[in-house]
Amino acid sequence: MNVKTTFSVKINVEDAVADIREQLSQSEPALVIFFASPAYQPERIAAAMAEAFPAAVTFGCTTAGEIVTGRMLTHSVVAMAFGSEAVKSVKVEVLQDLDNPSYDAFASFERHFGASMADMDPARYVGILLADGLSRKEELIVDRIGDLTNVNFIGGSAGDDLRFSATHVYANGKCHTHAAVVALLEPAVPFSFLKTQSFIPLPQKLTVTRANEAEREVLEFNHKPAASAYAEALGVPVEEAAAHFLTNPVGLLFEGEPYVRSPQRIKDGSMVFYCAIKEGMELSLLQSTDIIADTRRALDAARTKSGEISAIINFNCILRTLELRQNGLTEQYGNIFAGVPTIGFSTYGEQYIGHLNQTATMLLLH
Amino acid sequence: MAGQIKRLIDSMIEQRAQGNKVLEGVVKMKLILKGIDPKSYTDASPDDPVVMDKLINLMKELK
Repeated sequence: MNVKTTFSVKINVEDAVADIREQLSQSEPALVIFFASPAYQPERIAAAMAEAFPAAVTFGCTTAGEIVTGRMLTHSVVAMAFGSEAVKSVKVEVLQDLDNPSYDAFASFERHFGASMADMDPARYVGILLADGLSRKEELIVDRIGDLTNVNFIGGSAGDDLRFSATHVYANGKCHTHAAVVALLEPAVPFSFLKTQSFIPLPQKLTVTRANEAEREVLEFNHKPAASAYAEALGVPVEEAAAHFLTNPVGLLFEGEPYVRSPQRIKDGSMVFYCAIKEGMELSLLQSTDIIADTRRALDAARTKSGEISAIINFNCILRTLELRQNGLTEQYGNIFAGVPTIGFSTYGEQYIGHLNQTATMLLLH
Repeated sequence: MAGQIKRLIDSMIEQRAQGNKVLEGVVKMKLILKGIDPKSYTDASPDDPVVMDKLINLMKELK
């Protein structure tokens, strides 16, 4: 086997996992990645998936909506099974206690692959990171991993269907919270990364002059209360500023491309974001564009650059999903991935180089 | 002295990317996300010891 995807909408854990196993009955995968609605009891689905695929490494997380080849789903479990023709080797570890995580996982990776993380070839290995989406620690984890290796880690923050009460990550039959799953893969096929967001930068600049990074809070832009400066940049009264958050987030521009930072709320004149922003950063006001057209274009460009795509893992921001739902475009978004084995989920944050918002990050196997 | 930060950044990019242009971009973006924007530093930039320490420690990580 190469890569196979499947999904189940059966209501209870045992039926859903049996359904998944049945659909993959002809396969003995080496790796199964799965994303599951929080409607499935987390401890039970983690254990059940590991029991259903005893010869495979299994990992995944809870979601705020699922994606599978050609479709966006809710209240489902989606799975991607990899044979040894697709993935030569994989090792999965858990970073426990995200307030003070140990990076011993990297020593485990080094033992498994027989190479130092510092020396590993980023064209040969790829990392996947699934973090507790309510931990607010993702930028610290991504930053630390980025210090330790040139291998790229891509991923998303687990969701919980917008309940904002608890998210879970899964690894080899166990369920964890306030933790992150890190997996290191040696694919047997070429791979690439796609980061796409549907925004264009506007000329208005907002420089962070005072911030509380740990709280993801910007107190001042351009030496003014953050909400006032943001409203001024938009040309609207501050009372109307929050209504523009979805369509006008801000972005850190690098080589013309935005790394989106999305406002969450106004708090006493300051602005709380979905990711940390450092003092001194110059941000551009952004204007939303067409998610469907932009995503399609990004995938076409990836094909042109790196060749046909044989599988996709899509970490798609919940804010993008909400916009698609509001505009009745989930079917169109799903259709973009028709014909290519795909799984993914609606995330509480996306990871690629850094921690991102309102973005889709994708691992593409060619 | 001035310009040491730029020299450290250039050295770090060279050390980590080893001429790979894609990796050079990744390393620059990682620095920007840490609050160190490579394009903000020139040969005349003052030698801020806090930024220099941060860069020196980062270079040690991959040695």
